[in-house]
Amino acid sequence: MHEMGIASSILDAVQRELLRYPGYRAARVDVRIGEFAGVDGESLRFCFDAIVKDSPFAPLELNIEAHGGDELDLGSLELEEVNA
Amino acid sequence: MIQVPVEQKVLSENQRVAEGLRSALQATGTLSLNVIGSPGAGKTAFLERTLQMLPPLTQAAVLTGDLQTENDAIRLGKYGYPVRQITTVGACHLDARMVEKHLDGWNLEGLDLLFIENVGNLVCPTSYDLGEDAKVVVLSVAEGEDKPLKYPGIFRKAELMILNKIDLLPYVPFKPELAREYARRIHPGIEIIETCAITGAGFDQWIDWLAMRGDKKHASAAQRGEAIQQV
Repeated sequence: MHEMGIASSILDAVQRELLRYPGYRAARVDVRIGEFAGVDGESLRFCFDAIVKDSPFAPLELNIEAHGGDELDLGSLELEEVNA
Repeated sequence: MIQVPVEQKVLSENQRVAEGLRSALQATGTLSLNVIGSPGAGKTAFLERTLQMLPPLTQAAVLTGDLQTENDAIRLGKYGYPVRQITTVGACHLDARMVEKHLDGWNLEGLDLLFIENVGNLVCPTSYDLGEDAKVVVLSVAEGEDKPLKYPGIFRKAELMILNKIDLLPYVPFKPELAREYARRIHPGIEIIETCAITGAGFDQWIDWLAMRGDKKHASAAQRGEAIQQV
């Protein structure tokens, strides 16, 4: 149920990161989700895609890596040059 | 294409606010507990009984979260302690910013205990640090013994499990020893206290736990203080 909030937190972080790379857009964001994080990956993907779809972020791929602990971390971001 | 490392918590903004709360509550020596459980586990009744049984002169305050209504704040407000309702208007958990906002204007100086009753939910509140010293999970015997296995996240993160409504044990098929075993399978170090908010059973042990946990916090704060002075 709180996956919508998690999805928008991910996009906030992407937005913050993009400020450091003018001329680039985000193509893919990697997120690590632990088994005990209390976050459902599929539900997160559904929410993420729903928010991204009609936003300036589109298209942006969410890459989820499953882990064993309680992590809920942003790994790396793949950026591409705008109009490249 | 370039690959850039971000390496931060998804909820880093929540974490930032939570750390601010934690240091504010550290400075005032306030023990802060995030109370989490399913809807109907008896969190509010448990806290009502707690407020009734606190030792004289204890300074305590309560924030209580629900999607709607002020009902819980009205219930908890009868015992002479400051209480504020946080209505999340649909959100399934409290976050650090809501706590920060609702503490605004309260004088935390001299406050011994802050109870934060989370929204009834065993999943979502697990992810959000509220700047608390410990999470306390409330499980009632009217639920299944296997809740710790089904919702491992919160049982893993909670320092203490309250096994509540034990007065119902003669009437329900719940096996407390099984619930204990499952909780310890997920979190071997979890402490467990059995309580009944109606009869007050187990509350002496819980009040002792509060005192012990408060002392532990003060001791570690004093140690850190000495370490800083030595540097």
